[in-house]
Amino acid sequence: MNDILLVKYAEIHLKGLNRPYFQNLLLKRVKEAVRPFSRDVQFYDSRIFIRGIRDVDAAVERVRKVFGVHAVCPAVEMDKADFNAICAQAANLMASLNGTFKVRARRADKRYFLDSPEINARIGGFVLENHPGLKVDVHQPEHVLNVEIRDQALLYAREVPGVGGLPTGSSGKAMLMLSGGIDSPVAGYMIAKRGVVLNAVHFFSFPYTGELAREKVLSLARILAGYCGVVKTYVVSFTKLQEAIHTYCPPEYSTLVMRRLMVRITDLLAERERAAALITGESIGQVASQTMEALAVTDVMSSRPVFRPLIGFDKIEIIHLAENIGTYETSSLPYEDCCTVFTPRHPVTRPKISKVLEAEAAIPQAEALVAVAVETAEILYIGPDEADDTLSSETA
Amino acid sequence: MNNNMVYLDNAATTRPARAVIDAVTISLGEGFFNPSALYKPSVETAREIERCRKLIKSSLQAEQVVFTSGGTEANNLAILGHLGNLRQGGRVLYSQAEHPSVKAACQAAPEKFEAIGIPLDAGGRINLQSLSELLTADTRMVCVMQVNNETGAIQPLGDAAELVREKAPDAWFHVDGVQGFLRLPMRIKDAGIDSYALSGHKIHGPKGIGALALGGKRNLEPRLFGGGQEAGLRSGTENTPGIAGLFAAVLDFPGENWMRSHKLRLYEHLKAAIPTLSINGPEPDSLDACDHIINLSFPPVRAETMLHAMEAKGVYVSHGSACSSRKNRHSETLKAMGVSRAALAGAIRFSLSPYTTEKEIELAVRATIEAYEALKAFTRR
Repeated sequence: MNDILLVKYAEIHLKGLNRPYFQNLLLKRVKEAVRPFSRDVQFYDSRIFIRGIRDVDAAVERVRKVFGVHAVCPAVEMDKADFNAICAQAANLMASLNGTFKVRARRADKRYFLDSPEINARIGGFVLENHPGLKVDVHQPEHVLNVEIRDQALLYAREVPGVGGLPTGSSGKAMLMLSGGIDSPVAGYMIAKRGVVLNAVHFFSFPYTGELAREKVLSLARILAGYCGVVKTYVVSFTKLQEAIHTYCPPEYSTLVMRRLMVRITDLLAERERAAALITGESIGQVASQTMEALAVTDVMSSRPVFRPLIGFDKIEIIHLAENIGTYETSSLPYEDCCTVFTPRHPVTRPKISKVLEAEAAIPQAEALVAVAVETAEILYIGPDEADDTLSSETA
Repeated sequence: MNNNMVYLDNAATTRPARAVIDAVTISLGEGFFNPSALYKPSVETAREIERCRKLIKSSLQAEQVVFTSGGTEANNLAILGHLGNLRQGGRVLYSQAEHPSVKAACQAAPEKFEAIGIPLDAGGRINLQSLSELLTADTRMVCVMQVNNETGAIQPLGDAAELVREKAPDAWFHVDGVQGFLRLPMRIKDAGIDSYALSGHKIHGPKGIGALALGGKRNLEPRLFGGGQEAGLRSGTENTPGIAGLFAAVLDFPGENWMRSHKLRLYEHLKAAIPTLSINGPEPDSLDACDHIINLSFPPVRAETMLHAMEAKGVYVSHGSACSSRKNRHSETLKAMGVSRAALAGAIRFSLSPYTTEKEIELAVRATIEAYEALKAFTRR
């Protein structure tokens, strides 16, 4: 008798001739996620089976977060020949439960001496005899005891929902503009969930922001890495540009010019990374730089699509998502991600592109400053655990 | 460790002296025995504890010394230990300049006690007139610190003690001496002080060790129960390496030093170069100002920006009080002094050690002026 994990997937079932590609990628991602706990991961019968697990709860938590996983079921695997033992184990699994239940048998091995309805009846009867607190309800049971007869018998009563989506790497790469706020990590999560590999870009304005603010952003990248694997993170020194904008641009346009230059830098890094898109956490009207007019003005700085998965979400909805993903607490730490010195009191909300271009043109050698920012960007590889980071950092 | 750095955050913590590191190392290596055991090496360890206790007792003129895990625990033991022992409720007064470990302990007292803050004057000292008005016959405790950790203001303890004696003779007078210990003379019985808290890591000793010195009164209720160490007032196996380090730190502390003239030099140079400079606290050359702490603002530059820019030049200073600078809030002490909003946002604390050199002060002055010049143009528009 062994403890195993049964991993189910959902959307991949809808794929056609390329289904094996997705299945293999999911298998690879599950193997990577569970490596600290087990190396026995196999794929067959449209399921992934993980055996020889060191810490079942920790492994479930890891696998649950792999994109493409629909559910993780901690199961018991045993010899199917001894049906009395199966009944005893079934009763054992249900021992701590109360309320209604049903048995759902699945007989993949059609030669087995009992058919599915017979298995349901016999195991159900045995459980009832041993646990008078339980009642059978085949229509809307509170608990389902699954019994699968394959090469071995598999029993499980618990199904932990996975995060869904598609396996990381199945949809290419995108650059996430990651501030220290609540929105951008959620936006990154939503796009990563569709199988996209994330690279993060953070704009750092030392001395206007300090080491703690930078650490906070890296912690957010680390939480995302828990879902989508190592996040290559560019830390771009933005101080010179920030000061130039402050010096040469009219204050009401400074935020927009700043956003435009950030998008420009991210687009150049995307070029280098062969990434197909940019991701931001913007949502219509949340702040002055996120009105539709303002978004139009920043959009044109990117030569590739800018994904804004939160565009129609309210702040409260975004906060709920952030809490579910586990980024909210870190995002709420107080270190300013961009010092208020550079936040104008009255930014324009309906900018005209001609005015924005004029403001931007006032910065001497803006393109050269952008090039330096790209060239000197620091690169860090952030894994789910600090131990997974690549030790040496480099510059672009 | 970066030896090129200029460390001017000695009110947050100090670098342990060589003699302290040696004493701790020897205690950890050779003197590891439990002082409560009966064999010879343990007796020797116990003797070392008593040696340190005696040193602190005599230096402070205390009746009793209880070792604790630091200043915070010593303050908590004095406040909650005394109030926990009283049957009747009443007032508990604390200066609005107190460290959070005093303020929060006063506020955590049982409901029958009413915790009231004593207002400050613009220089950061308690207003004696207000104290006099607040003192009632049912005042059970008064807490005033010796030296404020943010502004360097020396509190008028003598006058305060006299008022307490006159108006509430039964009240317990507690002094948080964490910033003042060894830097200012203190004879607690002569000063009418009932308890005095001190900490090792502010005097070049180790972290995790402190003490509460007691004057005449001894009716404290313990906060930690167990094996009855420290005369039953603080159970738990004694922190022998910490105590050995504290002993070395007290012996080693340079009583004669140049901190005051260094501080004034720093101030004069900055004042000459930075027209917007303002002082948060007492006049630096007055008798109300301690030698090692000075708190200045450089509007319009904000404190975080200023200290990061100075950090880039190897000069480490602090924003307000280190205990609260990770919270995005302004110092309550400075607010109680009526410091303006602009100055609040820009308050930087420089704190010196007896080992601070003239060269370091020069470097700090240069770094401060350069940072100010580079940043002053970038204000919110």
